[in-house]
Amino acid sequence: MPIERAGLTTRRVGPVRLLAKMRDAFAQVPLLGWLLGALAAVIVERFAGYPLALDVGMSEMPALFGLENVFGQPALIPGTILYVLLIYLLPLGIVAWLSSWPANWLAKKLLRFPQRISLLIHLALLYAVLSQWASLGDYRVLLLKFTLIAIIVTLSLNVVNGFMGEFSCSHPGFMALGAYAASVVTVLCFVHNKILGAPLLPHAPGLLIFPLSLMVGGLVAAFGALFVAIPSFRTRGDYLAIISLAFTFIVKSLIENLEIVGGARGFMGQPDFASLPAVFVVAALSVLTINNFVRSTLGKALNAVRDDETAANAMTVNTRRTKMTAFLFSAFWAGVAGGLFAHVIRYVNPGSFGILKLSEVLAMVYLGGLNSVVGSIVGAVGLNVLMEALRPLEILKWIVIPVLLILVMIFRPTGLVAFREFKVEEMLKPKMKPPER
Amino acid sequence: MASFLQNVINALQAGSFYALIALGYSMVYSVLMLFNFAHGDIFMSGAYIGFFISSGLVSLAVAGLLPLPHWLILALTIVLAMLATSLLGIIIERIGYRPLRNAPRASAAITGLMIGIILETGNLRLFGAARRNFPALIETRSYQLGGVSITNTRIIIVVVSVLLMLALHQVVRHTKWGMGMRAMAYDYVAVPLMGVSGSSIAVMTFAIGSALAAAAGILYGIAYPVLDPYMGIIVGWKAFVAAILGGRGSVIGAALAGFLLGFIEIFVATIFPSTVRDLIAYSIILIILTFRPHGFFGEPYSAQLRL
Amino acid sequence: MALVQVHNLTVYFGGLRAVHDFNVVIEPGQIRGLIGPNGAGKTTVFNLITGIHQPTEGTITLDGKSVVGLQPYQIAAMGIARTFQNLRLWRHMTAIEHVKMARYSQLSYGLVGAFFGTSKRVREEAETEAIAMRLMDMMGIGRLANEVVTNLPYGVQRKVEMARALAASPKLLLLDEPTAGMNPEELREMVQVIRQIRDRLGLAIFLIEHRMKVVMDLCEIIQTLDFGEVIAEGMPEEIQNNPKVIDAYLGKEVVI
Repeated sequence: MPIERAGLTTRRVGPVRLLAKMRDAFAQVPLLGWLLGALAAVIVERFAGYPLALDVGMSEMPALFGLENVFGQPALIPGTILYVLLIYLLPLGIVAWLSSWPANWLAKKLLRFPQRISLLIHLALLYAVLSQWASLGDYRVLLLKFTLIAIIVTLSLNVVNGFMGEFSCSHPGFMALGAYAASVVTVLCFVHNKILGAPLLPHAPGLLIFPLSLMVGGLVAAFGALFVAIPSFRTRGDYLAIISLAFTFIVKSLIENLEIVGGARGFMGQPDFASLPAVFVVAALSVLTINNFVRSTLGKALNAVRDDETAANAMTVNTRRTKMTAFLFSAFWAGVAGGLFAHVIRYVNPGSFGILKLSEVLAMVYLGGLNSVVGSIVGAVGLNVLMEALRPLEILKWIVIPVLLILVMIFRPTGLVAFREFKVEEMLKPKMKPPER
Repeated sequence: MASFLQNVINALQAGSFYALIALGYSMVYSVLMLFNFAHGDIFMSGAYIGFFISSGLVSLAVAGLLPLPHWLILALTIVLAMLATSLLGIIIERIGYRPLRNAPRASAAITGLMIGIILETGNLRLFGAARRNFPALIETRSYQLGGVSITNTRIIIVVVSVLLMLALHQVVRHTKWGMGMRAMAYDYVAVPLMGVSGSSIAVMTFAIGSALAAAAGILYGIAYPVLDPYMGIIVGWKAFVAAILGGRGSVIGAALAGFLLGFIEIFVATIFPSTVRDLIAYSIILIILTFRPHGFFGEPYSAQLRL
Repeated sequence: MALVQVHNLTVYFGGLRAVHDFNVVIEPGQIRGLIGPNGAGKTTVFNLITGIHQPTEGTITLDGKSVVGLQPYQIAAMGIARTFQNLRLWRHMTAIEHVKMARYSQLSYGLVGAFFGTSKRVREEAETEAIAMRLMDMMGIGRLANEVVTNLPYGVQRKVEMARALAASPKLLLLDEPTAGMNPEELREMVQVIRQIRDRLGLAIFLIEHRMKVVMDLCEIIQTLDFGEVIAEGMPEEIQNNPKVIDAYLGKEVVI
């Protein structure tokens, strides 16, 4: 913008003007346009990825946007950058920009229908992008599944730790309960197990039973949450942290002693029900319901209880019901996530639900940001991607990541994207032309 | 009766470790309102540092360069390891916790967990995954007293622990530093206003707590000579829960709760199979905490975690 | 029929008798005052009426129904709202979120609506928003609706607290030193606002205040509390000249 000041004007120099124009152009691309662009990029990769990778010197297509080459094979970095540019960024940018007019038109048209329709279309597109991207390798599928599950876990923990401001260490316990409960249901129904006996049902109803088993997992976890929620009526802060920690230890110990599910050796044989569409749908559901909840006045009551419980009480807020809801709802999704996890790797053992898991889930929440749905997604995706990108460092990864997190804690104690609202309507609407300067 | 006494002795030993570690947790919590989740791994680091010092001294002795008697090696190990580990504790306080002095306490808790992971990983990287054996510095001798068999290691461990706790008590009650720590436990805002550096007291608290954890680590190495990098998680978290059971602001409470935990563990194991030992111990503690959340000797003051 | 009746209200905190034999009958639409030196127990009376403390003896009824033993949120939902002496706001929430929160007990869409965004929820949330905006406009702070409260000036924060209390649709509004920390300009405005609230919304107001001018201007009947006991009760002119009242304040700070 030219600034006039006593006859002095500043002109924008060429490249800066170009960038500004590009930024304006891209600002007009609605979410629909970006999704179309992403779809184009993954399709390009499907056809041109492998040849191009070979051309720039890689032996195969980069599994994770070339991030693994940053530490693994630094010599390939220039080639990787070229790859990312040509395969991902260029198609994304071009198609997004080209489609901005029709995408805006479509977004505007969709405003006339209930928001659900627009949401479904966007989700379907997102799924198309993700599944196409993942179709080029098992590694990608697994990573995507783990990341989606991590989103559910992080989001559910944020409900209690971020929105309600407690320091709950009970999440690994909830996940364990859900994992085992869901596994028992599916194995009982479909698998021949030494202790549990022959399968009860033929394979066909698997599609129906799996969501049911996840719900059972969630409900069992929610039941377990009573043991943390009820003490929370009387105590807060540190003492609740201790009680929730004891809960996690007790759950772990309990499972280790249950021979019927394999005890400390673990439980295996879960049927292969956790397909990518299944995991995606569950993750999307969790994001939607949790976001809906925290944006409602009923959900904001969590914030009120956190910031001043006495005032909340005096303002008609049923603080007990609020705490109960938060813990049970959070535990439910943790249990569902646990169930998904058990069915993705088709093995579950109590050892994976201890202090290390606690550190991992807390890290994701605090990295991404408290009291923020976007923050949880950022934290979950960020940590998972980071762990994969740093894989070449092997064990040093476990020094880099904690150090990173400590730095975040020092400079942004509540996380990277804390207290940010996730307004679905904003995301789905058409983007208008910016006002003329 | 004899086996009961036997169990009492075992419980005293088990309790000693928990008590020494719990003291460190409790001190830091009282003075700095901070859960140092890295403390269990400081215990582990102390054990490994002790392992290296003692192994080094033993090799020197064997090679004839520094022929010290075993009891002297043990004493030196304990002293040097305590010093080195308290240095580690001071570094951790300076780098990890001091910048977060004014941050929400939850952030400090996360930092503690991360520091713990760094210590464990550092250990794995430096020493590999193979387990290490603590050198045998004490010739085990069994004494028979009316049907009860007591090994000298057990005696040494309990005696050393109690001596350390008494020493701590002296420091807290009768020294200037101890007074500073007690003052900060009551009101950490007022202390700097009285011209006493809150940071120095913080450093002192961490140093003493870490030293005690190191002592516990070495004694643990003597009792159970196999070390592994995750021993901090197994032992340290139980001690943490014991510290809470003892109550905020109470050093005596932490020590007593540590011994209580030892007793619960050993005596539960006599009745129930050992696999459910942890389960029952934690359940008992959970029940106690539900009805008395501030522990045995703590004040019923509920610290709020503010964002 | 009287709106609120309090008889023989007494509470002991450990060995300390904080309030002794407190009685008050509040009629609908009445503005009553409660004055007394610091530490007399005025806020304790409020805390007892709103259910934060349980009385050791005595009865409190609202519309003939006893509220002793109920949870504070239940009493609030029945029709007694309050503001706090030391502003109790929610640090991370915006002004309008504060006001909307007090409508909690009026919401019927439940968890199903909260999770799935049913049309009932959309409708009720819109209503809540509209009511909240109306209240904030009435207090003159409508344009600051989406500001986080900690960013707002003190006088505006006090108004947010008041709008929040009003959003609970109270029949009785307890105001705990509503003019504390205000300059003369804000004070005048607050007095007007309080009177307007009573006139437009028809609720009863029970007021704790230290500033005599405010109390004398606003209140129809005033009680004076000293060491937990009522030492005088009457109309402003009577209280002003009551020797016991003057005695209680003698040597203590009185802000006129």
